[in-house]
Amino acid sequence: MTGRRLALIGVALLVAACVERLTAPGQCPDFCPSGQITIVDTLLTSSIHGDSSFRGYVLAQEAALMLAAHIPGATDTLDGRPIFRINGYGSRFRISSADTSTGPILGADSARLKLVVLRRDTATHNLRLQFYRLPITIDSGTTFGSVAAPFSDSLVRTVNIDTLLAQPGRKDPVTGDSVVSDDTVSHQLVVSLKLDSAAARYVPTDSGTVAYGIRVAADSLASLAIGEGTLGPALQWYLRVDSLGTTVARTPVSLGARFASFVFAPSPAPLDSTLAVGGVPSARSLLRVAFPKFISDSSQIIRGTLFLVPAVAARGAPADSFVIEARTVFADFGGKSPIDTRLGDTTVIHVGATDTVKIEVTNLLQLWAADSTHPRVFVLRPQAEAQFFGEIRFYPSLAAAFRPTLQVTFVRRFPFGVP
Amino acid sequence: MIQADRRTGGRAVGTAVLAAMLLTASPPERLAAQDSQFGIRGLGTPGRWESVRSRSTGGAFGPFDPLSPLTEAPLADIGQLTATAVGGTSHRDVAVGGTTTALRATRFPVMGVAGPVRPRLAVAAGFTTYLDKSWDVTLRDSSLLRGVLQRYTDAITSDGSVADVRFAAAGRVSRRLAVGAALHVLTGSTRETAERRFDDTTFHTVQQSAEVRYDGLGVSGSVLLGLAPGLSIVGWARSDNRLRATVADTTSAMTDLPRMAGGGVLFAPSPGARFAASAAWRSWSNAGAGAFDTWSWSAGAEFGSRRMPIRLGARGGQFPFGPGTKAPTEAAGSIGTGRAFAQGRALIDVGLERLERRGGGLTERVWTVLVGLTVRP
Repeated sequence: MTGRRLALIGVALLVAACVERLTAPGQCPDFCPSGQITIVDTLLTSSIHGDSSFRGYVLAQEAALMLAAHIPGATDTLDGRPIFRINGYGSRFRISSADTSTGPILGADSARLKLVVLRRDTATHNLRLQFYRLPITIDSGTTFGSVAAPFSDSLVRTVNIDTLLAQPGRKDPVTGDSVVSDDTVSHQLVVSLKLDSAAARYVPTDSGTVAYGIRVAADSLASLAIGEGTLGPALQWYLRVDSLGTTVARTPVSLGARFASFVFAPSPAPLDSTLAVGGVPSARSLLRVAFPKFISDSSQIIRGTLFLVPAVAARGAPADSFVIEARTVFADFGGKSPIDTRLGDTTVIHVGATDTVKIEVTNLLQLWAADSTHPRVFVLRPQAEAQFFGEIRFYPSLAAAFRPTLQVTFVRRFPFGVP
Repeated sequence: MIQADRRTGGRAVGTAVLAAMLLTASPPERLAAQDSQFGIRGLGTPGRWESVRSRSTGGAFGPFDPLSPLTEAPLADIGQLTATAVGGTSHRDVAVGGTTTALRATRFPVMGVAGPVRPRLAVAAGFTTYLDKSWDVTLRDSSLLRGVLQRYTDAITSDGSVADVRFAAAGRVSRRLAVGAALHVLTGSTRETAERRFDDTTFHTVQQSAEVRYDGLGVSGSVLLGLAPGLSIVGWARSDNRLRATVADTTSAMTDLPRMAGGGVLFAPSPGARFAASAAWRSWSNAGAGAFDTWSWSAGAEFGSRRMPIRLGARGGQFPFGPGTKAPTEAAGSIGTGRAFAQGRALIDVGLERLERRGGGLTERVWTVLVGLTVRP
């Protein structure tokens, strides 16, 4: 019995004594391990090759928002105009919710249009939105030129955003316009505009469909973005309906835009040998990398930086700095390569800047080092495609003096086991 | 009689529990711990192949102690099956460059079993620490990276040891002469990590780790000679081949291990007084740069009955690894006692050692509490 107890205590002693907690100071080199962490920094000047650009990934009508801008430049003016179409209720409307009988829609007394301004330059003063009636036939094939005429002769309403914001309660008692929400953090505005029967014409033969376009103007450079989808334009009709010879008022549920896009001029410059990123439709660039085996096989990458020299100053609305991201691909199919969205590294592009752009691509290089089968390809694309007019073009690998370069800082394998 | 046995056994158990608590109890604050800093740059910290009884006498009784895995010949007199284990907790103050750091370590350096298989032949098996390789070094430094001075913190750690698994046999050739030999299998592993954290987090943290496995072989032999009643001498020698370190099945280092030899004298003028002295030489300089051949000596005494003796001793010598051109020196004093229970079937030995090592501007002062448990079923 006692022997068994002693044996148990011996085992307990063994287990307890093996528990260690270690920490200690270092007095180098005399009292430090002989092995050291060795860091190597190398600039790969000729590793990037086979680079090219592709455009057309996200079109204007596929963008998550509508861009409006009026930015005069040295040679031309960047002019962006949101366009949208809101389908109506048809020619008849239910008289009562108690039965299914309908009456012909005679017209509309008025309507209220709600817009969400997602992004604007708060430094711009006297910002005005000008609403134009457009043909209800607008669609994805509509171009800046094809709606130039209605944008010059069909003005239905103008609202001054700054004046409206200055009103008590942000409501204009004369026009009935208001700003119902002003997010001071995101600077998003929800603008509610009252359209009279002339501005909001309910034409039963058109099923009540209306289309509008917006131009922006300001004392200085005007640029903003208007929401689409759930944050898109919404129209609240105030209808007049014939009920057996009696005109009754009806306020149906508001309608959202069935089509929303934007047209702009000038069109983006055609792709050339430079590496284009951004713009509308959005452009991406592919850079293939000959990743040295001595780095990927036997080391740990702790920093990788991609250096890109702009061939021209970044273009776009000056207030709209945009973010481009570097990602890698699952397979190299050129412009149709499926993008690996697990990892990415980003940098901000300031419009007008010509400084060398640096993107930290450590995560991507570490992925390549860990997975030797992963294609060594960078894709450069805007983080929010077709949501900015901004576009930047970099020198390609063919431009020997300004070609993209990769700086890699890595650690050699620690000499474990060496006394 | 049976009840008396139970009481005695109960006290033995209680004492063992107290010993276990002493060994493993930690103060509430986190104390730092590691083996000797002199061993970080070398192969490690060599273990002490001594039972608590031997170590309490400065190691002087080690060559004569059948439970100390230093020599084999004394095994011939072990008489009955015996198992032993040693635990020790060290509290270390390391002074260098004007700063002193407190460290703590708990070790379990010796475990073995021995017993007779023939009237004149005994065998033993067990393990002891050959090299302790647990340490954790943190550094603050900077280096020029991409044209900017980057500050960083390094943490390099090793956790593990090389054990000496010993298979020994000894026989009494005559009434005066006993001989023994042993095969030593060196085996062990360390978990090593190297980490660097930059103050500038743009540089990712460096984190590398590996499991390093070690192996080696050695042989030893010893002779115990009784010169006269109460007077014995012992001589021993050992040769280890090399320590091979492998990482992921690839040999990363091969280090020659030392040859060593030593001897001692034991004088017991009366049943209540025993005196011993020993010396040893080890050719650690085989291990390469920064390693030195060492001499060590010890002297000690044991007074009183074997049921509860008083032990004391002193030792001195050199530590095999250190900076500069001279081996660090070490000196220690120790004291201890023991208690037999259950008619000698269980023994608890306790010891206290004060050690000081000096060299290369570094001074280590170590208090070590030792507890040994021996069972003779």
